[in-house]
Amino acid sequence: MQIKQTKSQFVAVASIAAELSAVMEVAKEISLAAANAKAIAFRAGEKAKGFQPITDFINELAKDTIGLVNNINDYAFLLYRLTVNEQRLAEACGRFEQVERLARGARYAESLAGPLQQARQKAQAGRREFTIHVAELLVKLAEVMHPARAARVIAANSRIEASQAGEYLQSLQAVAESVDNAAQIINDKVHRCRSALTVINLAD
Amino acid sequence: MKMTKIYEGSHQWVMFGRDPHRPEKIIDTNQYMVRTADRCLLMDPGGIELFAPMLAAVLHHAPVEEITDLFASHQDPDIISSLGLWDQALPNAKLHAAQLWEGFLRHFGCEAIEYLPIPDHGGTINLGSVELQIVPAHYLHSSANFHIYDPQAKILMSGDVGAALEAPGAPVFVDNFEAHIEKMRYFHQRWMPSNQAKRAWLERVRKLDVQILAPQHGRMFKGDDVRRFLDWFEALQVGIAV
Repeated sequence: MQIKQTKSQFVAVASIAAELSAVMEVAKEISLAAANAKAIAFRAGEKAKGFQPITDFINELAKDTIGLVNNINDYAFLLYRLTVNEQRLAEACGRFEQVERLARGARYAESLAGPLQQARQKAQAGRREFTIHVAELLVKLAEVMHPARAARVIAANSRIEASQAGEYLQSLQAVAESVDNAAQIINDKVHRCRSALTVINLAD
Repeated sequence: MKMTKIYEGSHQWVMFGRDPHRPEKIIDTNQYMVRTADRCLLMDPGGIELFAPMLAAVLHHAPVEEITDLFASHQDPDIISSLGLWDQALPNAKLHAAQLWEGFLRHFGCEAIEYLPIPDHGGTINLGSVELQIVPAHYLHSSANFHIYDPQAKILMSGDVGAALEAPGAPVFVDNFEAHIEKMRYFHQRWMPSNQAKRAWLERVRKLDVQILAPQHGRMFKGDDVRRFLDWFEALQVGIAV
């Protein structure tokens, strides 16, 4: 395990955490947009009858996204912990090898063989665990894409329903736009998370 | 890494320092080891950069599994930033360090090594054939600071007290006290914050029979130079930056 590799891993894991934090913010915005749309649809009454169930659905999607991101955040934190552990073990292996060279001829030089072997084994086990969690995180990220895709479909339906809402047309269209934009942002950010993880896997 | 045996009796004291491979901008440090028949205590084992030469030097005296105890006089990086590496090398060892610094020192990595918190009033480290005293030296310079006194060897490991900024390769013992003063004056005036703390430490240490005063930087003092140092330190005003 190269120390340089764990450094790029730190950057990748940190960037995932940053992207997830942004996804969370956007999901909260969607939730707010849903509440706003519900109020408008209520005021619009019969003119926006078709819009009312959509607002509930938008809100559910936002909640699903927030729940999934919370769950993924736990994974991202675990990956960070594993990266710290890996960095420490990589550092230890490198330093122990240095000790081996410097202690050549020392009476008890051989006694370092055990700790060095253990550090190498722990580093390999840590790498395996990391790889497993990366694969699991990729699956979880794919799950976040589902509500984001559904939100885009809902946004398209919302536009159609908004066109029936008379003087509320512009307000409801703005809601549809906002949901569509948010879904697109989530999609992009999750895609970036997946790319960052792929970079880690490629570096393996 | 230079190794100097400074006591040989029922146990040994070895001083490690003057590492010729030390990176230029890193302050030179002295590490100390107490070696009994089957155990080994490393005092202020050093920073990360020093880990490899330090452990390589220790392996001339003891196998890894007999390095059972570490002591950190305080929390500075030159004292103990190597902790995370010792943690990988010595999974069954114990670290004796201030209770006050536990949450801070664990940032260096301390999962396998057992952290034995030292209360403010000090304590002892029992290595089987020898019991060492942990002497409080708070605010000299760290707010929770300890020194180690060995009543059999009559050695006081005095952390930053007695330290001097030296040229590379300086001798390990003070050979001309008057000439040595200027090498340690600024260090003590600037790093030591409290005259009150200094007086409390002096009162405590003057009750001990100290033949060798062993600081973490610079040269050790032996014989009459120990008393000379205590007198000089007593007269020195410290905490000059305010």
